[in-house]
Amino acid sequence: MSPELETLLDELARRHARGEPLDVEGTLRRAGDEADELAPLIEAFLARAPRRGPTPASLSFVQSLDDPPMLRARVAKALKVDDVVDAIVVECDLAPETRPKVRRYYQQLEGGVLDPTRVAASVWDAITGLLGRSRALLSAPAPMYRADASFHLQERLVTLSGVEPPSPPDEVDALFLGEPEG
Amino acid sequence: MADATQLSMRDARDAEDERLLADGEINLLLGGWVETIQDICVAKMRGPVGEDVAQAVCERLWRELKAGKHQNGRYPFRVIVHSVTRWVCKGWYEPGWQESELFDIDGAAPDEAEAVVIDVTLEQFVATLPPGDGEVAALTLLEGLEPGEIATRLDKKPNAVYQAIHRNAKKLREWLEE
Repeated sequence: MSPELETLLDELARRHARGEPLDVEGTLRRAGDEADELAPLIEAFLARAPRRGPTPASLSFVQSLDDPPMLRARVAKALKVDDVVDAIVVECDLAPETRPKVRRYYQQLEGGVLDPTRVAASVWDAITGLLGRSRALLSAPAPMYRADASFHLQERLVTLSGVEPPSPPDEVDALFLGEPEG
Repeated sequence: MADATQLSMRDARDAEDERLLADGEINLLLGGWVETIQDICVAKMRGPVGEDVAQAVCERLWRELKAGKHQNGRYPFRVIVHSVTRWVCKGWYEPGWQESELFDIDGAAPDEAEAVVIDVTLEQFVATLPPGDGEVAALTLLEGLEPGEIATRLDKKPNAVYQAIHRNAKKLREWLEE
């Protein structure tokens, strides 16, 4: 190991002691070709160093874990629901007049009400592309969505349309209420 | 695991975690670990994907804590954090792993062997150093003082402090490589 790496490691250890952000990514970048040598040492250091107290940012993050993950990701990107809806409409090549329906479905998905396994891959491509997170990270844990196999398509259509009589399933319904995977 | 080993693992850092866990202060407990988890994940994954991995680690820990896991005190929470972090990083690129595990609230328990491996603390490193260098290491690595402050505190010449810091950096690297 070069003296430069020892210096980088020492600087990181002292930032830790001072309670400053460690900037691991920047430290590894500064290590250049020796980053692979330095990274395990940083891991070893962090495994042995005392943990630091919670910061306002870390507490805020943990508190947000109560929110559905897709909502968290959207808020983190400072995006509006309509931004995501626009992306879905474009990615899935839908007509502009489908936007209100897409919006309702998206809000159900984001709120953990809609079973994420039934949503089409093209919709997920639009969402993950915009929010920059994987489908797995954006999907609410199983207990959070209320839908199950007994909640049939027609029942959901009634829910969506309120007092209006159910309409036949269309392209948007198929994108959000398709068959579950597996 | 032997009782003596378990007792030695419950150092001062673990006491606060244990109290928070017992009091149900999940947000405070996990909030104290978020930065460490992010830093480890970025180091392990070598890039921004570490942020995604860290989120998965935090979500998993949060769900498990909400479900009442890890309250039996068998392992310090520190051990659980490092075990889960290592486990999520290791499986991150395995096909299908993300999909299934993120829906599984009762996943793998910490590896007992790992628990022993990480039962080594920075304080123990400081204790291995000769008295003079150990004093400097304690003030740099545990209290975060600058060399000038250390020189004043220990009534040493700044150059002597810098030399001790240089020697300690080399020994820290060797200790972390063990």
